[in-house]
Amino acid sequence: MFDITGKRFWFFLISGVVILIGIISLATFGLKAGIEFSSGSMMTLSFEQEVDHDELRQELASLGYTNAIVQRTGEGDFYIRTVTLGTEEKTSLEDALIARFGNLEEAEFYSVSPMVATETAWNAFWAVLAAAVGILLYITWAFRRMPSPFRYGTCAIVALLHDVLVVLGVFSILGGILNWEINLMFITGVLAVIGYSVNNTVVVFDRIRENLTKGVSPNFEIVVNNSLVETLSRSLNTSLTTLIVVLALLLFVGASIQNFAVVLLIGIITGTYSSIFIASQLLVVWEKGEWGRFLQWLPVAKAKSR
Amino acid sequence: MTRRNILALVIILALFAFAICALIYPLFGREELRLGLDLVGGVHLVYETVSEEGKAGDIDRAVDIIRTRIDKYGVTEPIIQKQGEDRILVQLPGFTDIEAAKRLVEQTGFLEFRQVELNEKGNPVYLSDYLEDARSNFFDKDEKGTRIFVDEEGNPIAFLSKNEGGLIYTDEEGNPIDIEDLRQGPTKLLSWIPARGDDGTQLTGGFLKEASPSITTGITAKPEVAIEWNEEGGIIFDDIAERLYPRLSESPERCIGIFLDNTLISSPQIILPAYHGSGVITGNFTIEEVEHLANLLESGALPMPLQKPPLYEEMVSATLGAGFIDMSIKAGVIGIILIMLFMVIYYRLPGLLASLALIFYGTLVLALFKLIPVTLTLAGIGGFVLSIGMAVDANVLIFERMKEELRAGRTLGAAIEAGFNRAWSAIRDSNITTFIVCGVLYWLGKNIVASAPVMGFALTLFIGVAVSMFTAIVVTRTLLRLFVGTPLAKKTALFSPYIGRV
Repeated sequence: MFDITGKRFWFFLISGVVILIGIISLATFGLKAGIEFSSGSMMTLSFEQEVDHDELRQELASLGYTNAIVQRTGEGDFYIRTVTLGTEEKTSLEDALIARFGNLEEAEFYSVSPMVATETAWNAFWAVLAAAVGILLYITWAFRRMPSPFRYGTCAIVALLHDVLVVLGVFSILGGILNWEINLMFITGVLAVIGYSVNNTVVVFDRIRENLTKGVSPNFEIVVNNSLVETLSRSLNTSLTTLIVVLALLLFVGASIQNFAVVLLIGIITGTYSSIFIASQLLVVWEKGEWGRFLQWLPVAKAKSR
Repeated sequence: MTRRNILALVIILALFAFAICALIYPLFGREELRLGLDLVGGVHLVYETVSEEGKAGDIDRAVDIIRTRIDKYGVTEPIIQKQGEDRILVQLPGFTDIEAAKRLVEQTGFLEFRQVELNEKGNPVYLSDYLEDARSNFFDKDEKGTRIFVDEEGNPIAFLSKNEGGLIYTDEEGNPIDIEDLRQGPTKLLSWIPARGDDGTQLTGGFLKEASPSITTGITAKPEVAIEWNEEGGIIFDDIAERLYPRLSESPERCIGIFLDNTLISSPQIILPAYHGSGVITGNFTIEEVEHLANLLESGALPMPLQKPPLYEEMVSATLGAGFIDMSIKAGVIGIILIMLFMVIYYRLPGLLASLALIFYGTLVLALFKLIPVTLTLAGIGGFVLSIGMAVDANVLIFERMKEELRAGRTLGAAIEAGFNRAWSAIRDSNITTFIVCGVLYWLGKNIVASAPVMGFALTLFIGVAVSMFTAIVVTRTLLRLFVGTPLAKKTALFSPYIGRV
């Protein structure tokens, strides 16, 4: 039988490193907020003729939109994000582009006022918070017959924060390199990941609950390890089936749902990882009261790896 | 095979047949799956209303008026709703001219009739007269209403009103204008005062009974709007006509100024002493303008203006949306096929049964989407596709449990029951956390302006997970039980490829 719990500090180290990279990236690049959260206008234009990316950017700059973000999204299709455009500004912008690059079709146009953007950002924040609190309460309740049920809830929430931090970190890197933005679909994806992450954690916890009741072993660490091994193929198989559909979404639906699909993709992987290697291991650490030992272990681990 | 199981099978098959029929044929008046704006294309606008201590019901009236205007354009299934306390949401599926949509919605449509102010000698008053000797009172002291000065195009330049401190000039938004600034511009502008009936009521669009586009009968045919007053409006109009008619011909004093949202759209001369309740609004209009104007007047004026620009604007072209539908169907079908392949290879016979349950799942969920109905957006389809991946989770949980029981040497029948019973608590608890998230997403969707993606995802994921619990537990179990007691049940390799090796 695999010994998973015995290597718990290694898993903490791996997660710690990944999250640290993410936090460094968050501190350097930050997150690029989409118009839903920071107001402005965005449009997707389809040009009939071939248009060069740099020429389009220069033309926009010469029209006064120096900070406009321009991205090619397909054959002759460009995503353009500007400050909030009024009716006249938009008409004159499009007329100028038609005069320069020939006929175009406006495939999409969105415009969000600052008031709505602030409101949406706050609501998204509250939603994430409410989801976390709701889950904490439910898991504490569901494990109420266990000794210290609050631990289960807390460990599930820590695993969930772990997953959210990884997703945010990756998106901050993607934002810094590829100008990816955090939009409403991103938040929807993050909430889905929260649900998914906890879903996985609960399955493992459920098995721990069952094995504890059955009295498999007096040693908590062994009970957790057995439970993890027993649920391992389920965890991997479910993640696999979900990954299959998310990949299908990403590959076939593409640009418009890209943020959402990538959040799910990262979230499913890290959600599976955290349910096995973080949430349950934290339970063991908490049970044994060995919070300090991780730090003592760290220099040893480094010495070993050298 | 127990009698109960056969009954369950019959019910499941009946449900399956019902779901297929519901998808193919119109049922309960639902012809098609309802698709969101991002899939069919269209315009989505959210406005904030400007109301000073808004009267209750004003917004509801505004919603009705906007709906009347839009209905005349023949948009199918438009959504016009009050959102929160003071917002109005407008969704026009299939209508992709966002500027036309904005014109249609945001114009207040307040029609009023005005006449030229006269001084003591009976001559018309101009802006220059007011500016010359910095007056503190109106020329026509009996008329207390606001004066409007317009430029050559009819657009308002200044509004003149009186308060305790004297006369005050403001612009359209109500900001004060400096007198010196006004002196720099054109000043030979007529002073337009409200035109009132003998009882002092101002003539406005509120007294209209009918307004329709029409063409002048004359040498050169020109588009115009024919109007019909209600009884009171007819009397007021004739009061005014009687007063203005005897003036000198061609003099401005004989004009009646027709103002739409403070803009002078026409200023015809009164050439009859009485019109008996009907008339026409002539001017330099195109046919489109006349149709728009008639629609505005017929629908009535908004009780309060809308703030421009809108809080939120969204336009998606129809071609883009159609592409999304094709792509997401492809993604869904490929996803389902791959999952079925995986399940059959990994779990053998139970996997095959779970795949059948998955087909049943997809059909039932789509049928529910159509019947409820759920508006499918791109994110909603994302939620559905994701739920397909998660739908097999319950089966995976159960089958893993079954394998353990089979390895422990139980018979198939016992293993099935134990597998389902033991997996239940995990299925329940894990799905409830997903429901909590769906609830939070639904709340978020209710509280934000650009709600469609969030709401769509929350609904489809919720329905998907709920139905998956049913199909994974009831359908798969019923199908599996069919094999209990048959010779197939002895061939454990069909149920778990690794049993022999462990």
